[in-house]
Amino acid sequence: MSNTLHGAINASASALTAERARIEVAVSNLANAESTRGADGKPYRRRDVVLATDGPETFEAMMGRQNAVGVKVADITEDQAPFARRYDPSHPDADAEGFVQMPNVDVPEQMVDMLSASRAYQANLTAISLIRDMISRAMELGK
Amino acid sequence: MNDIVTDRSIMTALGRQLTAAVAKQSVAASNLANIDTPGYRTREVSFDDALSRELSSAPPLAATQPGHLKGTPAIEDRQVREADGLPTRRDGNNVLLDRELLGMSRASSDFTAAQTALSAKFRLVRYAINEAK
Repeated sequence: MSNTLHGAINASASALTAERARIEVAVSNLANAESTRGADGKPYRRRDVVLATDGPETFEAMMGRQNAVGVKVADITEDQAPFARRYDPSHPDADAEGFVQMPNVDVPEQMVDMLSASRAYQANLTAISLIRDMISRAMELGK
Repeated sequence: MNDIVTDRSIMTALGRQLTAAVAKQSVAASNLANIDTPGYRTREVSFDDALSRELSSAPPLAATQPGHLKGTPAIEDRQVREADGLPTRRDGNNVLLDRELLGMSRASSDFTAAQTALSAKFRLVRYAINEAK
């Protein structure tokens, strides 16, 4: 029977990793909200974390089983939305008309994303401490 | 005389409660882990439903002699199914944070209750063993 408290803890721990990745990506988006030159010479593109369940592939296979299902970072994608244009003729990266292409990072959106990831992180920490209590309770049976 | 509840059946029942609590905790942890996974649907253990279904539908074992045991329903095959009636977010996910945390607290206290009762039982057994020395 694969349905154990350790499986549950592993699922929660995988969520901690995934939520931390979300926070890291949100932070790097925020840090680069004004970066007009990336590695390819173009402005920074907003990155997005794609989460996926870590376990049986199909939903039907997942439903029939009782083991804990974790989460994983499936991909980190770049937002292909067009860059914002800001009029700033004195900027070194300004074009002939005086416009600068700015990263397509929406700062408030990143803050919201970071808060939601942080809350999810806390929730999973609470889950881990509850499961840990259950494990230590189970240990007391042998005393 | 068949209605005497034995220590063994109490321990089996308590053991099942422990297992059920672990199953609930495990599913709630999965739901919580996938709170931001697009398309993930909340899962739940239909343990209570399974029990009542077994008790109401399954015919009891025929007891043709006074000494026959009635048997306990097979409730080990709990089903994990999709929880219904939950609001779905725009990304197709319907995990509710408070619902899952509440479920985890409830499973944890169920587990604690069963564990307390079980260790009291074990204490009695140990007492009987030690007194016989």
